[in-house]
Amino acid sequence: MAEALFQIAEPGQSRSKHACRTRAVGIDLGTTNSLVAIVDAGKPTALADEHGETIVPSVVHYGGDGGVVVGADARDRLAVDFPRDTIASVKRFMGRGPRDAEATRKLTPYQFFQGAGDQSVVRFAVAGPRAVTPMEVSAEILRVLRARAEEALGGPLQGAVITVPAYFDDGQRQATRDAGRLAGLEVLRLLNEPTAAALAYGLDKQAEGTFAVFDLGGGTFDVSILKLEEGVFEVKSTGGDSALGGDDFDRAIAEALLAQAGAVDTADAHVVRRALDAARALKEALTVRTEVSVEVPFSPGRTATLRLTRDEMEALVMPVLQRCAAPLKRALADAGVERGHLSGVILVGGATRMPLVRRFVAEWFGQEPLADIDPDQVVALGAAVQADMLAGGAGSDDVLLLDVVPLSLGLETMGGVAEKLIHRNTTVPCGAKQTFTTFADKQTGFDLHVVQGERELVAECRSLARFTLKGIPPMPAGMARLEVTFMVDADGILRVSAREETTGQEAAIEVKPSYGLTDDEVERMILDSLAHGEEDVKARLLAEQRVEADGIVAAARAAMRDAPELLEDGERNEIEGALAAVETARAGSDHHAIRTAIETLDHASKPFATRRMNKALEKGFRGRDVDAVDVKLKKVGGKK
Amino acid sequence: MICWSCQKQAGTAPLCAACGALQPPDDAADLFAVLGQPARHAIDLPATEAAYKEMSRQVHPDRFATADPRARRASLARTVQLNLAWQTLRDPIKRAEYLLLRAGIDVAEKKASTGNSDKGTHKVAAPPAFLLEILELNDDLAAAKRAGDTVKVAFMAEEMRTRARESMTAIAAALDAGAPGKLEEAARSLVALRYYQRFLDQASDGDGGGGAD
Repeated sequence: MAEALFQIAEPGQSRSKHACRTRAVGIDLGTTNSLVAIVDAGKPTALADEHGETIVPSVVHYGGDGGVVVGADARDRLAVDFPRDTIASVKRFMGRGPRDAEATRKLTPYQFFQGAGDQSVVRFAVAGPRAVTPMEVSAEILRVLRARAEEALGGPLQGAVITVPAYFDDGQRQATRDAGRLAGLEVLRLLNEPTAAALAYGLDKQAEGTFAVFDLGGGTFDVSILKLEEGVFEVKSTGGDSALGGDDFDRAIAEALLAQAGAVDTADAHVVRRALDAARALKEALTVRTEVSVEVPFSPGRTATLRLTRDEMEALVMPVLQRCAAPLKRALADAGVERGHLSGVILVGGATRMPLVRRFVAEWFGQEPLADIDPDQVVALGAAVQADMLAGGAGSDDVLLLDVVPLSLGLETMGGVAEKLIHRNTTVPCGAKQTFTTFADKQTGFDLHVVQGERELVAECRSLARFTLKGIPPMPAGMARLEVTFMVDADGILRVSAREETTGQEAAIEVKPSYGLTDDEVERMILDSLAHGEEDVKARLLAEQRVEADGIVAAARAAMRDAPELLEDGERNEIEGALAAVETARAGSDHHAIRTAIETLDHASKPFATRRMNKALEKGFRGRDVDAVDVKLKKVGGKK
Repeated sequence: MICWSCQKQAGTAPLCAACGALQPPDDAADLFAVLGQPARHAIDLPATEAAYKEMSRQVHPDRFATADPRARRASLARTVQLNLAWQTLRDPIKRAEYLLLRAGIDVAEKKASTGNSDKGTHKVAAPPAFLLEILELNDDLAAAKRAGDTVKVAFMAEEMRTRARESMTAIAAALDAGAPGKLEEAARSLVALRYYQRFLDQASDGDGGGGAD
């Protein structure tokens, strides 16, 4: 991206290639950011791009020309100009139906596809015009990570472990697995994020005892209580809120900003995007500063001065953060552990960088939390360890992971009551059987409604699936005996089968979520992507390089305009020449040529960039800080 | 049993005696036997847990992620059974219920059977006099809660906890006594214990206040 050229002194480091390691990777498919990691020489390592950047922002842009751009360019540039076609935080929509989406739609810039009545999956209406599902959007992110890993490992992958919030329900898990399949990955396991973090901590720090993992990401909150002992990682309980995270902080701040600017009712997609981006930038700036003041042009001719102190921001965010308390309490109660008796509290997720969040955690648990493994990386590192072990790497005989079902699973019975077959916090894999009978004479079929949740009434639980067992001969009420079997595998995914005992009539389904893709749809999407695979990859690489070229050219021009006094003799000509070469290459369709031209420009402008950086540093810490804030906010409001 | 992989006699261990392939479990296996424990209420919990973890290490799906689909199915089924066994044996109430079920007495809470089969089992109900007593206690508790009398609620809960504890001790002794009449007694006490538990849930419900603190 643009600023990287002038801020990062070191180019991407070359990666060593070992022959004797598994080619299984761990992927943290996050709400805000995603990462891929491998185990290299016995140590988990996050893989970086050519700029040394390990994080891929989970933002996907769909261009009018059919191209797709993923990552920082999509987030920093395209989201501003094309808010509707640039999907961020797609994880919040995984396994959700149009009606759920409606609920999260408040203050999102997206447009949802209004298709035929039987649409059971959320679809975003984007440029093209196309209607894409959350699984397809996630698959785009996964493809980028897969390509990065294949390049680093020098060949196709054996498989991947993809992490999910522990509190993800069955539908959200299936959606994630489907996204992996769409991206051409062999999904070895879905691993719960707090468990992944504990695995990374436990192995790296030789930790033993009972730990809480506090995982507050962009869009989800998880808490898990684990016992670590002699290589056994046993989850005692888990809890959370799959719709609570840093995004909600941003939204709370953005709503306040819009209210301050008097633009609540007039907010269109662009304004909403800017307000959300401004909120994120303010939140991040207020992590180190105590007050930020900024002008944001909300629309042509309408600029608002927005000022926020850290105290004010914390007051806006606190009500959202308080929502963590109830799941925390329940997780501890379910584990049978007292708050004060924990060996440690592990912090995971970008939102735990906020001083307010750390204070909250420290006060709640009565001890300083642990953050010595980068909270942004720890989940991917743990997933890499698990992937390596599943593929038969070293240490696989020493470690045992025992995870649990996050939410109870049951069936609807008479009167709309949910009969639980598997209770929350049961160790997976697990199974349960229950016998039901008919309530009407001559009933020849059973309607089975599978639900997930803790509430007594079906209406208050999440509906997972419905299916029917037919062909039962007419019998008096209460005579038929229907045996229903639930089986939850190690991924936390449920299969249900039913059998009428007197006739032997059987029905078995892998519960397809009410709001998911059918197997046929997944197959079709995979076939489509295979057919266009080659072209897709090329089109994508080209689109990405073009976007990067635009960014770098603009940044270089701006830098020369801003600080001409720092240019040495002949340097301007050299940079101008390199700039022209980038523009020529950009007009062509060879992504390698664009890459080469960008690297030449990078090389030519490096001394100049270094001088500029030093100058900025001379202004001292405070000055640089202000600078950084200005840059961020300019990007937010810079374009009309 | 014939091994699915080498077609020879597999033996009774999880792994085939001839080729080492993981064998599916016997669905009808006794849960005490699954963890290698004697079938009685007084069991050595640490030893049982150690056995559970040791066996889990051998058969867990994490060991078979890239194995033959048949081995993977066997691993899943084995681990489901192990988890069920440990979940049943680790909890004193579930352990007692299971011991009774083995003896043909079904004290499961649900109307329908949760075991392998409900053929040949009979059900136990609480005597009416006991139900009346519990009903009155519940009314008293509700009244104390409505009045905000936290001292009385705490006192009633403590009394009930003592009763539940004594009841559990008696159940354990009755189950391991080996006399047929004792099993019926244990079954009745188990049903009563469930009412005590519900009373305690009621007593603690909502006493935590807001979670924010």
